[in-house]
Amino acid sequence: MSIRAFFNSIREGFQGMLRHPLVTLASISTILLMLLIMSMFIIFSADARHIMKNVGQQPPIEVYMKLNGSEEERAAITKYLSEDKEQVLFFEAATPEQNYNQFKTNLGSSSSILDDFDYNTYLPYTYRVQLVKPSFAGDVVMHLEAFPGVNKVMQEQQVMIFLTKAMNWVNVGTASAFAVLFLISLFIISNMVRISVYSRATEISIMKYIGATNAYIRLPFVVEGAMVGLISAVCAWGITYLAYSKIFSMLMSKVDPGSFYSILPMHSLSTLVLLVCAFSGVLIGAFGSGVSVRKYIQV
Amino acid sequence: MTVDQGGRRLIRFDNVHKTYKTGTDALRGVSFKVEDGEFLFIIGKSGSGKSTIIKLITREEKPTQGFVFVDRFPISNMQRSLIPVLRRHIGMIFQDFRLIESKNVFENIAFAGELVGMPRKKLIQTVDIVLSVVGLRNKAAAMPQELSGGEQQRVAIARAMVNDPKLILADEPTGNLDPQTSESIMALLEEINRNGTTVVICTHDSNLVDRMKKRVIEIEAGCIIRDDMDSGYTVCAVAPHIEGGKS
Repeated sequence: MSIRAFFNSIREGFQGMLRHPLVTLASISTILLMLLIMSMFIIFSADARHIMKNVGQQPPIEVYMKLNGSEEERAAITKYLSEDKEQVLFFEAATPEQNYNQFKTNLGSSSSILDDFDYNTYLPYTYRVQLVKPSFAGDVVMHLEAFPGVNKVMQEQQVMIFLTKAMNWVNVGTASAFAVLFLISLFIISNMVRISVYSRATEISIMKYIGATNAYIRLPFVVEGAMVGLISAVCAWGITYLAYSKIFSMLMSKVDPGSFYSILPMHSLSTLVLLVCAFSGVLIGAFGSGVSVRKYIQV
Repeated sequence: MTVDQGGRRLIRFDNVHKTYKTGTDALRGVSFKVEDGEFLFIIGKSGSGKSTIIKLITREEKPTQGFVFVDRFPISNMQRSLIPVLRRHIGMIFQDFRLIESKNVFENIAFAGELVGMPRKKLIQTVDIVLSVVGLRNKAAAMPQELSGGEQQRVAIARAMVNDPKLILADEPTGNLDPQTSESIMALLEEINRNGTTVVICTHDSNLVDRMKKRVIEIEAGCIIRDDMDSGYTVCAVAPHIEGGKS
């Protein structure tokens, strides 16, 4: 196929969309709906990951040593935390004095009530541990609890378990919704292509008789499908942008953006959503048209 | 791909049978040969098998049994990817002209050249030449619906000629035209044939066939019942013989 013939096919693809505007509109609407749902899942997934990351960055695990713990017991824990680089991102040990000072700082102006507090008697050595992934918490906690000298291991595991499960649900939901909507889109695009093929039946029969290849005849339909997908993607992105910006301003108006349960603003998700929508839209449109047109056009 | 080594022979049907999925026996043991540069009429009643012969030549259909060679392409076991290549050697003309209504005369003709990747400059020159041949040089910008039936058929002939085909295949080219216009179209096809292009015409137009005195193959119920040189629509001067002709 020559370059000019290729560009002619592209032009034909654009003209095809205008030849049957209602069918094109129906196809755009279906793909748009699919991409909107997908965008929703993408954003939810990104927000869930963001929150999990924030939670992971808090000290999710705090290890409280027994008050009469020995130096060797603390050294064993320090050794374990230092060596387990696959699961432990960072840890810090705090002496009873450091914990006392932190306690006083937290009390602010009321800290004077602790002035005579004997921290060496009542406060333990502690460890604050940050994990590489929140899902490592169970394993690390189990190991820490097995050490002699450990009194208690506190963790934010419930939040992390919930978020990990939520992420899995989101992933399964996204995949299922995508599969169902993908099939619906294929059906709609197939109809669009069929109408498009019928409206160009004479032209196609002439093209066949004068020696056009299958690729030459099919390309305009694939371009048409890809353009429908791209238009749907841009519309889906626009609607998502406006809707999520509104939701973000409503939800986050009284929330500190630095808090661990803050969600991501739209501008930081915008490119991701646009790229995923554009890629998916073009892929679905082109693939759907390509598959359908094979059925209707055979040289 | 096997290649027919048949010299200047352009079309060869060897004991061709065609049975459609519906069970209709369209062709029953048809054999004939067409040499390069011949002018041939295929005649017969509706349903006799004329259109099936055209469909086999253009590889729209495959023979159920027997062999068909067109310009050395083995139709019977030809790769699908070679079908467009075969069709670029054939100029098709139809009863209903089959012009693209959204394209003007020039674009309709140039379209065939564009498909085969003809360079733009050469394409413009070629379209100009074929428009001159069919006498429509002044109608290049006209839309098909602005033309008479005869003019539309001339555009179709110009389109068939643009890729310089070895064979022009016409299915009832005068079916929608008045006698006078039909004469001019046939004169044009005769002129194209004189310049070396093989012309095969399926027709019901007995007057034209009788007047032109060309080779005639008559089909009835899927069999060749007559293959005569310099003949007419009905058997007259030349004695009939079956499965013969120029073979």
